[in-house]
Amino acid sequence: MESLQLSALDLRLGLMAVVLAVMAATFHVLTGNFLTPENLYNIAQQTAVVGIVATAISLVIVARHIDLSVGSVVGFVGVLIAYLQYTAGWHWATACLAGLAAAILAGMYQGGLTAYLGVPSFVVTLGGLMSFRGAAFLVANGKTQPVTDPVFLWFGGGLDGALGIAGSWTLAAVLAALLCWRIVQARRAKAKHGFPLRPLAADIAFTLGLLALLAAFTAAMCAYQLPGKSAGQGIPAPVVIWGTVVLAVAFIVRRTRFGRYVYAIGGNPEAARLVGIPVRRVTLQLFLLLSVTITIAAIVSVSRLNAGTNSMGTGMELYVIAAAVIGGVSLSGGSGTVLGSVLGALIIQFLDSGLLLLDVGIGQRMIIIGQVLIVAVAFDVLYRRWTGERLA
Amino acid sequence: MTASPLVEIIGMHKAFGGVQAVSDVNLALDAGEVVAVLGHNGAGKSTLMKMLAGAYPIDRGEIRIVGDVVHIANPADSQALGIETIHQTLALADNLDAVANLFLGRELMTRWNTMDDYAMEAAARKVFAQLNPNFRNIREPVRSLSGGQRQVVAISRALYFNARILIMDEPCAALGPEETRMVHDLVRRLKARGVGVFLISHDMPDVFALSDRLAVMKNGRVIGTYRTADLTEDEVLGMIIGGKPVTRVAQQHRTLSSRLPSLQETPP
Repeated sequence: MESLQLSALDLRLGLMAVVLAVMAATFHVLTGNFLTPENLYNIAQQTAVVGIVATAISLVIVARHIDLSVGSVVGFVGVLIAYLQYTAGWHWATACLAGLAAAILAGMYQGGLTAYLGVPSFVVTLGGLMSFRGAAFLVANGKTQPVTDPVFLWFGGGLDGALGIAGSWTLAAVLAALLCWRIVQARRAKAKHGFPLRPLAADIAFTLGLLALLAAFTAAMCAYQLPGKSAGQGIPAPVVIWGTVVLAVAFIVRRTRFGRYVYAIGGNPEAARLVGIPVRRVTLQLFLLLSVTITIAAIVSVSRLNAGTNSMGTGMELYVIAAAVIGGVSLSGGSGTVLGSVLGALIIQFLDSGLLLLDVGIGQRMIIIGQVLIVAVAFDVLYRRWTGERLA
Repeated sequence: MTASPLVEIIGMHKAFGGVQAVSDVNLALDAGEVVAVLGHNGAGKSTLMKMLAGAYPIDRGEIRIVGDVVHIANPADSQALGIETIHQTLALADNLDAVANLFLGRELMTRWNTMDDYAMEAAARKVFAQLNPNFRNIREPVRSLSGGQRQVVAISRALYFNARILIMDEPCAALGPEETRMVHDLVRRLKARGVGVFLISHDMPDVFALSDRLAVMKNGRVIGTYRTADLTEDEVLGMIIGGKPVTRVAQQHRTLSSRLPSLQETPP
């Protein structure tokens, strides 16, 4: 383990990937149709909206804050975007920009109260949970706002909302090349600075594993053919959008000062202040980042439903927070990864979808998912104790 | 006319609510000088130093660096003036590794304005090696490090960023004999380089081994400022406990010659 340079974090992500694989295999054995292109395609699409917001809320929780209002803001922004297109007749792009502006304002209000006035984010966003749901109703007086623009509908997947076979494999090839280049680059840089290298075989095995996963996923998406269409769908647009958000947020975490400061604030807010980090500004920016992902999620959501409704995103905050927490984000702050939020969101969706295929009723499903959340956090506590992160 | 002192604290005040934590404090520090700041818990010494470090806003008073009045509104201002602070709590983010903590708030960037992890790690290795050649696990979260290693990380900030003025708040409080010696060596090295050091300590051997002068505080005021060599440990302890200045020897407001002869602090 020493020579492989595996950290407790890598182990944990690996473990979650194993859990995901075991769940998939179990459900497939029990139902016979879990690991089919159709089911995987639907799961990937359904997870995207929660997954997009989960990336940013992970960072919010890492910085010892919370946002309970995300579902309501998604509803509010979503209805606004749909309303501007349907009732006000705006172009979809300007409507989306207006939605982004609204989300940014909401983020400045809630983030500002939290960062500059010191009102606990739990309280601010609990109020927001109510208020923004009300605002979502007021935008269109509770009326459903259908959207029809074909370009806008691409974002939500649906009939033509996918990359197609050629597009999917092109994207997969680009990603594969990028991945290999990154790993070679990292090895070179390490060697140049005289740092110890991971054994070459380990790096190759790791890379090949990821490439195989990428190829399998692309193949599955391309194998899914909608009735009445001549070719396979390929990677659905919401997944492409989710993937882009994940890469962007992961870049922010690993390569920018802002990302590091978020973790420093979560680890020790007083120390962050003493070393000169502008804690308030970083906190506000964090809420604005969340606003951006909320807008993206709202766009995908409206597009998926072909309409904006005032109930859109109801209860979503719970799924988003659960995804982050199952993905290993500690509610006491300072630790958690973006990739973890992806796996967390997938675990919830796997469970939901697998139980649905098993004909388990909605009541039982909710009970099970709720308890799985507790199991995940209990595991988290024990794991951190075992790795020495927590003493008692 | 003598040269201006490196640091001059003039008429400093600080109140928390109705409590006067620091009142009318004057203190000077020269380049290459170690001034110990002593007193009971709650005497105001940490508060005074935190104002210099930018951690607390200054209610009233003036800070001059080499004669120029400076404004310190936050820790970044203080750092920009060449003031480094080793806080009693060490100010480490426990979840980040030693390299990240060394550069926290002042990361090295690539030309793409992204963090340059390799450059930071390479530089960190050099600094840590100067202080403790056995310090290898620099990529582990600092929570898993020993007390001495954590101290190394905090001290290395002062070393790497070339402090001109160093504030050390209880630097040896949690250290073993070997690590204490490391801190002593470091203070002497920095002193030889012309760094001015404010040392807060409860430990008389530390104070007498390292400081040129000492200032004793009680209830937010300076009781007296003396050349350390002029006093005995008992006299210093007497001042800390009793709050009465020693009159056997003259006070020394500066090492060379006093620029502030009229400022004779008297207890209320």
